[in-house]
Amino acid sequence: MKKRPLQYFFILPATVWVLVFTVYPLIYVVRISFSNYQLGTTDLFFVGFRNYLDNFKDATFWNSLRVTLLYVLIAVTAQVTLGLYFAWILNKNLKGSRIFRTIFTSPLFVAPVAVGYLGITIFYETGGPVNYFLSFLGVHVPWLSDRYFALISVILLDIWEWTPFIFIILLAALQSIPEDIYEAALLDVSSNSQLFWYISLPLITPALVIAFLLKLIESFKLFGLPFALTAGGPANATEVYSILTYRKSMAYFDFSHGAALAIVLLFVVMVCVVQFFRIIRERY
Amino acid sequence: MRSYEGKIKQAVTYSLIGIFLIWVLFFFYWALTNSFKPRLETFNPGSLIPFLHFTPTLDSWILLFFRQMENLPLAVVNSIIVSLGTTGIVLVLGTMAAYSLSRFEFKLLKNKNLVIWFLSQRVLPPVVILVPFFMILMRLHLLDTRLGLILTYVTFSLPFGIVIMRDVFKDIPLELEEAGLVDGASDFQIFYKICLPLVKNGLIATAIIVFAFCWNEALFAVSLTSSEAQTLPVYILAARKTRGVHFGIAGANTIVAIAPPVILILFIQKYLVRGLTLGAVKG
Repeated sequence: MKKRPLQYFFILPATVWVLVFTVYPLIYVVRISFSNYQLGTTDLFFVGFRNYLDNFKDATFWNSLRVTLLYVLIAVTAQVTLGLYFAWILNKNLKGSRIFRTIFTSPLFVAPVAVGYLGITIFYETGGPVNYFLSFLGVHVPWLSDRYFALISVILLDIWEWTPFIFIILLAALQSIPEDIYEAALLDVSSNSQLFWYISLPLITPALVIAFLLKLIESFKLFGLPFALTAGGPANATEVYSILTYRKSMAYFDFSHGAALAIVLLFVVMVCVVQFFRIIRERY
Repeated sequence: MRSYEGKIKQAVTYSLIGIFLIWVLFFFYWALTNSFKPRLETFNPGSLIPFLHFTPTLDSWILLFFRQMENLPLAVVNSIIVSLGTTGIVLVLGTMAAYSLSRFEFKLLKNKNLVIWFLSQRVLPPVVILVPFFMILMRLHLLDTRLGLILTYVTFSLPFGIVIMRDVFKDIPLELEEAGLVDGASDFQIFYKICLPLVKNGLIATAIIVFAFCWNEALFAVSLTSSEAQTLPVYILAARKTRGVHFGIAGANTIVAIAPPVILILFIQKYLVRGLTLGAVKG
C-alpha cells in the first residue's frame, strides 16, 4: 500500500459527487419532513412532527404499508425458495448451460415497467392467455379487478422477474462446492435430499444470506411493476409504499408529507437490515 | 436398476429445465407474437403459433414507427443518450475511485469504512431522495432535461460501479505494478497502461449493468421529466393510458423496451454473479 497524491486526486470526484448528491439530499428530506412545504407555499416554517402524525392518521398510509409488507414477505420467500430449488436441480454440468444461464437471467434485465405493461395483456381477464388456459379448468380469475388477485398478479410477475437473481447467485455458490465432499458424503448417506440438507445447504449459507438480504433490500424499492400494471391497483390494492410516496410528492406536490413518508420508509428498511444482521450474528 | 433410476432423474431434470425455460421465455414469446398479430387476432387468446393460427403482419410496428402517433422515437433516443452518458461518467469516475480504494491507504477514513459507506447507498430506497432531487434539479433548471437525468442516475450507479471495480482491481497482483515502477513509470501510467487493460472485462460488465439500470429506471424518469427528456419507461407508462389496451402495440413497445439490456447481458455472463452481489459472491 502506497501513499501518493494520485490517490486523493482519483477518489475525490466520486466522493464529492456522492456527498453532494446523497448526504445533502438526505439532510434536505429530513428538514422538509419537519416543515410545511407544499407547492405554492411561500412561507416555510417548522411544524414539528405534524406531517408524521398526519401520515399515521391517513388510511392510505397503513394500507400501503400493509401491501408493501405483504408483498415483501410473500415475494421474497417464494423467490428464495424457487431460486434455491432450481439451483439445486440444475447444479449439474449440462450441455449448453451457458445459454441456459443467459436465458434464465434475462428477466432480471427487463424493465419492471415493461413487465407490468405486458402483464396487463397477459393477465387480461377476457382475452389473455392465463385466463384462456384456466378456462379449460373451468376457472375464471379476476386478475386485475379484484383487490386480492391484483396483488397476486404483481407478486407473480415479480417472482418471474427476480427468481433468476436468487437462482444464479445460489447456482454459483453450489458450483463452488468441490466434488470430493459429495463423494465423501456418499459413503454415509445415499439420498439426494440428505445430501442437500446436510451438505449443500450449510455450505452455501453465506451466499444464501447475501442473496436474501439483497433481495429484501430491493423489494422495498418496488415501484415500476405495480405502477405500470395497475397504477396502484383497484382502489389502492397494489399501492406499494414507493407509489404512495410518489403520488404524495409528485402528483399532489405535497412535499412535506411525502418527505415524512420517505423518512419512515428509510427507518423501516434500516430496522429490517439491522434486525437481519442481528439474527445472522446470533446464529453464526 | 441403477441406470433406470438415473434415467428417470435425468428425465425429471430436463423436464424441469423445460418448464423453467417455458416460464421464462413465454413472456418474450408473447410480446413478440402479439407485435406481429393482426389487430383482430390479438383478442383471440388461443392463437399462439404464427403461421398456424394467424398470419403475421407488420401493422403494429408500422403504427409505432411511421404513424408518429406516439413518442417512441424520442423516448428511444433519450434513453440511449441518458444511459450512455451515465455509463460513461460512472466508468470514468468510478474506476478512478475504485483503483484508489484498492491500492492506496487513506489516513483520515479507513478504506474499509469508505467501502461500507459506498455499499450502504444500495440500501437506500430511491424514493427517499426523490423530493430533494426534484428540488435540486428545479433550482438548477435541469428538470425535463437529459443532463438532469444523467446527474441523477450517476448518483445511484456510482457506488455500484466503485464496489465492483474495486473487487476487480484487487484481483490484479501487485507485482505487475511494481514491475512498472521499476521501469520508471509514473502512478498514472501504471494505472493507464498496466491496470486498465487488465480489467477490461470488469469494465464491460460494469458498463452493461449500469446501462441496463438506466435504461430500465422508471421512478425518477417519471418524476423528473415530462415531455422533452422522457425515456422509454416514461413513454410506456403513458402508453398505458391511451384508448384501451392495444395488444399489438403493447407487444411492440415491450420488445423495444427490453431488447437492448437483454441482448447486452449475453456479453457479461462471466461477471454477472459478481456484479449482482457487489463482489460478495464470486461467480
